Order: sequence, then structure tokens, then C-alpha cells
Amino acid sequence: MPALIEASDLTKKYGAHVALDRANFSVEAGRIVGLIGPNGAGKTTALRAILGLTAYEGQLKVLGHEPFRERTALMHDACFIADVAVLPGWLRVDHAIDFVAGVHPRFRRDRALALLAKADITGERRMRELSKGMKTQVHLALTMAIDAKLLVLDEPTLGLDILARRAFYDALVNDYMDETRTILITTHQVEEVENLLTDVLFIDKGRIVLDSSLDDIATRYAAVAVAADNLDAARAEKPFHERPMLGKVVLYYEQPNLTKLASLGEVHALNVADLFVAKLSGGAE
Amino acid sequence: MSTAIWLLRREFWENRAIWMIPAVIGGCMILIALFGRVDLMSISAQVPRQAVGGGFLLAVGATFFVVMSVYSTWYLLDCLYADRKDRSVLFWKSMPISDTTTVLSKLATALVVIPAVYFAAADLTSLIMAFIVSVRSSSSIGGALWHADLWLQLQALWLYMIVTTALWYLPIAAYLLVVSAWARRAVMLWSILPPLALVLIERWFFDGHVIASKIGERLLGYPAQAFRDDPGSSSWVTTVVDDDAITTPASIWGFFNAGGFFSSADTWIGAAAGVALIACAVQLRTRRTEI
Repeated sequence: MPALIEASDLTKKYGAHVALDRANFSVEAGRIVGLIGPNGAGKTTALRAILGLTAYEGQLKVLGHEPFRERTALMHDACFIADVAVLPGWLRVDHAIDFVAGVHPRFRRDRALALLAKADITGERRMRELSKGMKTQVHLALTMAIDAKLLVLDEPTLGLDILARRAFYDALVNDYMDETRTILITTHQVEEVENLLTDVLFIDKGRIVLDSSLDDIATRYAAVAVAADNLDAARAEKPFHERPMLGKVVLYYEQPNLTKLASLGEVHALNVADLFVAKLSGGAE
Repeated sequence: MSTAIWLLRREFWENRAIWMIPAVIGGCMILIALFGRVDLMSISAQVPRQAVGGGFLLAVGATFFVVMSVYSTWYLLDCLYADRKDRSVLFWKSMPISDTTTVLSKLATALVVIPAVYFAAADLTSLIMAFIVSVRSSSSIGGALWHADLWLQLQALWLYMIVTTALWYLPIAAYLLVVSAWARRAVMLWSILPPLALVLIERWFFDGHVIASKIGERLLGYPAQAFRDDPGSSSWVTTVVDDDAITTPASIWGFFNAGGFFSSADTWIGAAAGVALIACAVQLRTRRTEI
């Protein structure tokens, strides 16, 4: 089975600024992929290209379509929330449901209504009367009621309080995700999505710097905290990053010799946030 | 097809002014008919009643038409700009609806739906006013309004105007859509500046006025294109009232210049320019998602 998203040499320039610089990546079906990068790294540009919202150079196939030329066809099988709170203020909740039901062949009204009932949002209110969290819930209900193969979320919880963020991710994982779906999500709050991702793509300065599953990260990377007297021995094992912590130094390794490291200090697995910081800040902090 | 209907309904949800403005105008006119001095409207018995009734209906229709022109201009400038400004374009573009369909739905709203709403409102207002005036007034004005033929002519006029204005003003409407899809702010200003700049450049550097007169003809030349000002003697009726000969139109039919309008090169050159500008607006809509 071919990958759901396949990008090779994906490039996007805004004048002299290169937002995407020959990025290569692919996303397989059934995964929850986090596209993670610092501000201005090209996350949003990559998503806009995938969704057909912007022209680009290079090759890009999403669900077999060229997104920019075939956005309409692509939107039958893919849906997205490109930002929170973009539902227009004048739109009534019930009208929004009627509209999507009218124009989207894969929309399931009963599911949308069930999700809205759960969030306690009633039909005749206008979006401008709803709080930001409620508006996000409405948008999510509309989107999750579409039987799409690909769901793309760009900073979906930006500006939401902790309760709304938790509700958002709970709904995503419990009510939506199954083996027929694929989710691509960007965020700069890595900790928040870490537990639900199956794969991560790190992007920096328009380039993909890491493309890995979380299982791979667990087996492939390790960190060890060593005291000063073991530091030279630890450095000899070629760490790619180190940072001081509570009088010790934590060193990060790729494909480490675990038995050797265990003799030097306390070994632990890397979480995505650690790896992200390490990969993007280079050698030492 | 059903997508098109949903897109039109959407325009009514977003732009409640489409029906609220004509409702308010109609309401004001009805108030005038209710509480105004209808005796001022009394007329000499000899003037053909149809002509008086026709004049009244045209006056009501013209009021609606003028307001509609202003509103449609504003609508066209706003329709591809508002959703980029509030970023809701990101929601609309997540639906399987092509940018061509979207742009055409806005164009159809401005050129067909809004005129139809206004003319229907004009009809309804005229009907209610005619009824009120008939009841209140003892003079002949009331009776002058109740001619089935008059109303039929009026509907033919509205229909003819919807078709011909849509075609004649297509380039203007399409140009406004281009501005609406392109501008990052101040759509009103951007709609005026480019033509103004062209006119001034032409005047200062080339001492010409071709562009200015073309724009002028397009904006103001519609009546001369679509209607005959001299439909021939058979279309007029002359009545003598108090020793003055009063000439009034016998019917509206002679004034339609459909043959001239649809065979005029100006009509079709304008329409072709309109189609090119629509294609341009679609391209901008595809490429310019955000402000």
C-alpha cells in the first residue's frame, strides 16, 4: 500500500525566504503523526501545501491527489482544522451542520449531533456567542463527523485553557481515531501530544530533521546522567547532545552501547520533548 | 446542484442585509402610504390611468433599483474579502467545493439573487401601497393602479433588467470580485484606485480620454443600450387635458431594445472581459487563502 502522504523535495519560497527547503517525508495510513518544530520552522507551510491551500515546488501526493491542483477532490477524503476559532461569527450551529451535511457526501449528521450534545452546545446559537473552547468543540464535531481518511490539525488547541485542551484530545483519541484513519497534527506543545502520537516528524528551517516512529525513538535513543568524574568516558561514546542537570551532566546518544552507558551512570529513555530540544539545539545547551 | 443551493443559502445567512434592506425600504414606503397625504396624489381624471399607475410603479421600482446597485457593489467587494479577514476561509476551504463554484455562487448572488429579491420586494411594496391608497383615497389614483396588464409589463421589465444588467455589468462585477479576492485591506479604496490611476496616467501622459470614456460608458450607458428612447409613434398616446397635449407611453413593450442590446458588440466585448476577470478572481481565490 502506498503512503498516504508522500513529499519529495517539497519547497516553498516566499520571496527570498525559504519556508520549505526540499523537505522529504511520508505518512503511512493508520498513524497519528506529529509534525513538530519551532515557530517559523515551516510546519504551517507544510500543512498548507498538503491541504492544497498553497502552491509549491517539488513532488507532493496526498491520497493520490496533487493537493494544489485537486483540492476539491482531496477534500472528499481529507478534512482539516487549520486553526482554532475560524468558524465565522455569523454562522449558527444548526446552519453549520445543515451546510456541511448539504455539501459533504461523507458527513454524518447523527455523529455531529451526538458530539455537540456531549459538549452541551445547542443549535440556534451563533458562533460569536460561543466561547473559544466551545467554538473549537463545534468545529471538531463538524470535522469528526466526516468519514475522512486523513485529518489534519494545525495547532488545534492554541489559546484554549487546559480543560478545553484535554477535552479536545480525549475526543480525538476516544471518539475518532481508528485503524482506517490517519491524523497529522502540528503543535509546539510537544508534551501535550506525546502520548497519543505514533510517529513524529521534526522540522527545522524548512527541512525534516527527524522522521521516526515513537517505538523507534524508544529503542534507538537513550540518555545517561553522569557525574563529573565519568564525563570524559561518557563523551568518548559520542553523544550528540549534552546538558547540565543538578550537578550532573545528561548526555544523549543515538544507537548507544547500553551496557557501557549503564556502567557510567543512570540510563533512561528519551521522551519526544527531550529529543526535540536535543535535535534542534545541536551539541550543547 | 445541491452544493450551489447550499452556497446561496449560505449567502443569505451571512448577508442578512440582502432581505433586510429591501424590507426596511418597503416598510418605510408602506408607512408613507398609510399616513402620508394621499390627496396630494390625486390627479386629473383625463390623464390615462395606466400611465399614472405605471409612473407610480416605476418610481417604487427605481428606488429599490438605486439602493440595490449600491448594496450589490458593496456585497461584491466584501464577499471574497470578509472570510479572508476573519480567517473563516480556512473552514470554507475544508469543504469539497471548488474555488470556481464559490466565486460563481457569489457572482450569481450579486447579479441574479439580489436583484430578484429587490424586485420582488418592489412588487410586494407596490401591491400593499396600491391597496392602502385605494382604500384611503377617494380620488382616482387608487383605481389607476389596478391593471393586470400594468403588472404584467412590470414583471417583464424586471426580468428583462435582471438579464440585461447581469450581462452589461458582468465586467464591473467581475472586477469587484478580483479586488475582493486580492486586496489585503481597504477594498473600497482598491476598487477605485486602479481605474482612477489609469485615467489620470492617460490624461497626463497621453492627453487621451479613451479609458475614462470606456469606464463611463460601461457605468452609465446601460439604459441607452437596453432601452429605446424613441420607440416610434405607435408606442405613445396623446391626451388633451385642459388644452395641453400630454403624451404618455402606451405600454412598455416598445421600449425594450433586446435586439439592439444582444447584437451589440459592446455587450459581448464586456461579457468576454467579465469572463476573463472571473477566471482571474478564481485564480486569486485559489492562491490567496489568507490576508
